Amino acid sequence: MARDRGQGDDYTGPLKRLLLGVVLLCLLGLFLVWRIDSPRVERFRAQVVDRVVPSFDWAMAPVTGAVNILRDFQSYQRMYQQNQELRRELQQMKAWKEAALQLEQENARLLDLNNVQLDPRLTFVTGVVMADSGSPFRQSVLINVGARDGIVDGWAAMDGLGLVGRISGVGRNTARVILLSDTSSRVPVTIQPSGQQALLIGDNSAAPPIDFIEDPDQVRPGDRILTSGDGGVFPAGLLIGQLAEDPGGRMRVRIAADYERLEFLRVLRSYGHENLTDPGQLIAPVLLPDEQAPDAPQAAEAGNG
Amino acid sequence: MAESFIQRYWLMRALYLILCIILILMHLLPLDIQPSNWTGPDLILAITFAWVLRRPDYVPVLLIALVALAMDLLFQRPPGLWAACVVMGAETLRNRAPMLRDLSFAAEWASVASTMVAITLAYRLVLAVLMVDQAPLGLSLMQMLSTLMVYPVVAFLSHTVMGVRKLTPGDLDAMGKRI
Repeated sequence: MARDRGQGDDYTGPLKRLLLGVVLLCLLGLFLVWRIDSPRVERFRAQVVDRVVPSFDWAMAPVTGAVNILRDFQSYQRMYQQNQELRRELQQMKAWKEAALQLEQENARLLDLNNVQLDPRLTFVTGVVMADSGSPFRQSVLINVGARDGIVDGWAAMDGLGLVGRISGVGRNTARVILLSDTSSRVPVTIQPSGQQALLIGDNSAAPPIDFIEDPDQVRPGDRILTSGDGGVFPAGLLIGQLAEDPGGRMRVRIAADYERLEFLRVLRSYGHENLTDPGQLIAPVLLPDEQAPDAPQAAEAGNG
Repeated sequence: MAESFIQRYWLMRALYLILCIILILMHLLPLDIQPSNWTGPDLILAITFAWVLRRPDYVPVLLIALVALAMDLLFQRPPGLWAACVVMGAETLRNRAPMLRDLSFAAEWASVASTMVAITLAYRLVLAVLMVDQAPLGLSLMQMLSTLMVYPVVAFLSHTVMGVRKLTPGDLDAMGKRI
C-alpha cells in the first residue's frame, strides 16, 4: 500500500514540484514587476476589474439593494425617535436656510459687482458606485464611468456636498476612486478663514488627520477645509470638510461627503492650469501713437533692463 | 466507480471555485464604505487550508493560485505577493497532510496556526523591506486571529455539509486507485 503510493509520487512528484515552482515564480515575478513598474500593472489590474466586476453586476446589484432595504426596514423600528430628531433638525435648518438665503443674495450682489465668471470648463460626469475595495485595508470605490466617458486619472470625485476622492485607475467602463481616507491619499488643502496651507493625510480612519500646518496656532476646530489646488491635482476651492480636534490633540477633518451612503459620484472634468513658462518681464506702458516712433528703442532697452 | 470518483473531484473543484467567487463578491458589495476598525476572518484562506488538509486533490495548486491572484487584483492589494504566500502555505500543509491525517484536530489546528502566522509575517516583512504602504498591524493581526478562530467552524462545515472528509484506508485516490 505504502509502496504503491511511493511509486505514484515518483511519476508525479517532480512534475508537481516543477508546477509549484513555476506558479510561485510567476506570482512573485508579477509582484516584483508591480513594484518596479507599478503603472503598467495597475493598468492591467484596471482592465481585469473592468472585465470582471460589470459581468457580476446582475448578481451584486440585487443583493446590495436587498440589504439596503433590510437596513431601511430596521430603521423603521426607530421611527418615532427619528421623527423627533428630524423635527428638531428641521427647526435648526429653517434658521440656517434663512441665513443661507441672505448669504446667497449677498453673494449674487458681490459677484455682480466683481463681474466674476466661474470657470465654465468645470463640468462634471456622474457615475454610480458599483463596488467598494472589498478589503478593510483599502478605501476605494468603483464607479461605472470610465475611459469611454472621457474620465482621466487624477480627476476629483465629489458627492453632492464635498470631495470624496480622486480617480486612480481607469478602465473602459469603470474607474476607481481612491477615497480621502485611504492610506495612500494625500491632498493639499487650505484652511479657511485663516488661509493656512496644510496636507490631508488618509490613514484608514473615518476622520483623516491633517498635517504640515504652517502655523498651528491660527487654526481652530470648526474651520472649513478646502482643496488648495497646489500641485495641480485638484481644482482649488472644493469643500472637503470641517476641522476637528481628537482627544489626543491631533487635528483631524470631519469629511463633508457622506461616506456612509456613497451612491452617485460626480467626477469633475479639470484640464489643469496654464503654466507660466517665461520669467516675469517688465511691462512697458502703451505709448501714444505720435510719440511711438522716437521712443521705441528706449522702451525696448527698458524692457531688456 | 473510478469514473464517478473522477467526476466527483471535478465537482468539488467547481464547488471550491464557486464558494470563492461568492465570498469575493460578498466582499465587493458596496455596503460599508466607512473605514472600519475591525475586520472579519479571511474565510477563503480558512476554506483553502481546511480542504488542502482533508482532500489535497480537491484544491490543486493552480486553482489556489488563480483564486488568490484574483483576490489580490480585485481587492487592490499588491498583486501576486499574498497569492504566493497562500500557495506556499497551502503546499506546506499539503506536504504535512499525510502525517496529520492520523493525528487529532488540535494538532491540525496548531499546524494551520503556525502556517498562517508564518505567511502573515512573511507578507508584512516583504512589504516592509520593499517599502510598500501597508495596512495597520492591528488590523492584520485581528484578521489572522479571527481566521484562526473561525477555522474549526469552517473545517466542521466542510466535513459535514460539503462532505470534504479525510481519506481513510480503503478510499480511492485521485487516480482511482486504492490507497
